[in-house]
Amino acid sequence: MTARTLDGDLRAAAAAHPERTAVVTAQRSTSYGELELAAGRIAAGLRGLGVAPGDRVAIVLPNGAEMAEAIYGALRARAAFTPLNPTIKQDKLGDVLERCGATAVICDAERAATVEAAAARAGGPAVAADIASLGRAEDSTGAAPLDVDLAAVLYTSGSTGEPKGVTVTHRNMAFVGDSIIEYLELGPEDRILCVLPLSFGYGLYQLLTCVRSGATLVLEAGFTFPGRVVEVLERERVTGLPGVPTVFGVLTALRGLADRELPHLRFLTNAGAALPAATLAAVRRTFPDARLYSMYGQTECTRVCYLPPEQLDARPTSVGIPIPGTEAWVEDDDGRVAAPGEVGELIVRGSHVMQGYWQDEQGTAERLRPGRWPWERVLATGDLFRRDAEGYLYFVSRRDDMIKSRGEKVVPREVEEVLHAVPGVREAAVVGVPDELLGQAVHAHVAPVSGEQLDAGDLRRCCAERLEVHMVPRRIVLHAFLPRTANGKIDRRALVGP
Amino acid sequence: MSESEVRQGLRAFIGENFLYLRPEVALADGDDLLAHGILDSLGFVELVEEVQGRFEIAVEDIEITEENFGSIDAMTAFVARKRA
Repeated sequence: MTARTLDGDLRAAAAAHPERTAVVTAQRSTSYGELELAAGRIAAGLRGLGVAPGDRVAIVLPNGAEMAEAIYGALRARAAFTPLNPTIKQDKLGDVLERCGATAVICDAERAATVEAAAARAGGPAVAADIASLGRAEDSTGAAPLDVDLAAVLYTSGSTGEPKGVTVTHRNMAFVGDSIIEYLELGPEDRILCVLPLSFGYGLYQLLTCVRSGATLVLEAGFTFPGRVVEVLERERVTGLPGVPTVFGVLTALRGLADRELPHLRFLTNAGAALPAATLAAVRRTFPDARLYSMYGQTECTRVCYLPPEQLDARPTSVGIPIPGTEAWVEDDDGRVAAPGEVGELIVRGSHVMQGYWQDEQGTAERLRPGRWPWERVLATGDLFRRDAEGYLYFVSRRDDMIKSRGEKVVPREVEEVLHAVPGVREAAVVGVPDELLGQAVHAHVAPVSGEQLDAGDLRRCCAERLEVHMVPRRIVLHAFLPRTANGKIDRRALVGP
Repeated sequence: MSESEVRQGLRAFIGENFLYLRPEVALADGDDLLAHGILDSLGFVELVEEVQGRFEIAVEDIEITEENFGSIDAMTAFVARKRA
């Protein structure tokens, strides 16, 4: 019997095989039994800080066993978790804490000062900066969350740049976990190497699906020294490697990796952005014995579709078919199912669809529409797709100008605002430029107030001070004037063009 | 090429390509490039390309580690070993 909730997943895994390894990091190995004990202890600590069932607990931690403990600890306290990028800046953190009404924030000593300052601004949620000393052991027989309970509020950038809190229940998360486990055929023997941040949906689900299937998560601090990743792939007998185009671009650029046997590595997954054709070919040369899954998703339903690996030769640019237990189709502007080849908005149906955006009725109404039954709502993804005659799906473009770099979203406007605030800047336009490694690279085009001298290095430094790492422009180009379209708008297409 | 020439070459390349963003960082040769946020995985790939060309050595996948590329000291020692 599979568990109904994420909390139930950990209870079941710890009861069935307490000695088995749940999470391996460079520092330590944590068994399911130990993770279960930590969750109970942290839940007790959170209750001591005033966390009640249904409350939100924000987590601002880098990848590590502590992040896993914090997530399952919050859930054990019957609270919901809100994972945030560990490089988040103080102002944005304060804003998000206020929006989700967090009652507690878990962080580490390194981030304590930033988090304390942000928390003070956001109405004073309790800050727990030392998870190891949070709470004492308690038994886990207390009331557990139900599958209809709130499990997480996951922040994502909307097209306007306002953070939107994707609200999901245990039922949503357990359902999509099962669907992923089914098509990837995950089982207790799997050892998944995660170099992606757990604060990001794609990384987070590596942990959740491992715990749900009793597998082992080999968790790296991030994707940094490629040699380290190669070593871990071999030493830890990794069976699955999820990546974004940047990860695969770097790995396939390494000398010698293609000659390694890696007999345990049975699959790779790509999401976040499509693999460029050259990288796709290089991945297949470098990892000839691993099955490659091209996938597409968005936080609002986690995962939409995947391409069965045996279809890769026939349809290399497709992101495949809806994940098991769900439906997805393309609609034209009149709300009719589009004919094969016709471009329209992708609509998604299933128990993975979010409940809505946290305390944002208008935003929710834009994306969740009435479904087949009075109680059902379907997700309008806002992404343009087409399908072929056999029903395989192809991503066409985002409806807005969102940039995807390193698998993470960059809202041009957020970067432009920082540039506009620099003295001497008259106008700035930020665009995504196709990039083999990054998916898209963030490029900024800036024109000075006449008579002013600007320095590209100074501008990048300003961005680096105020923005998260993935949002800092890779390149800044100075112009006397930015190109305009016939109706006077900045011509973004000309800036992206060759 | 002497050790001090290798060291100077590495300092110059990192300074021109990565440090111009971080004028507040006074990078010492023993400083951890990752912990200081000077380089990320893409940065290391760029750096490896440069090191291979500049010092005429071949760098294997598994050699791109903290031990060999974590700091200017580490890289200087690594290049010396490879050229020996």
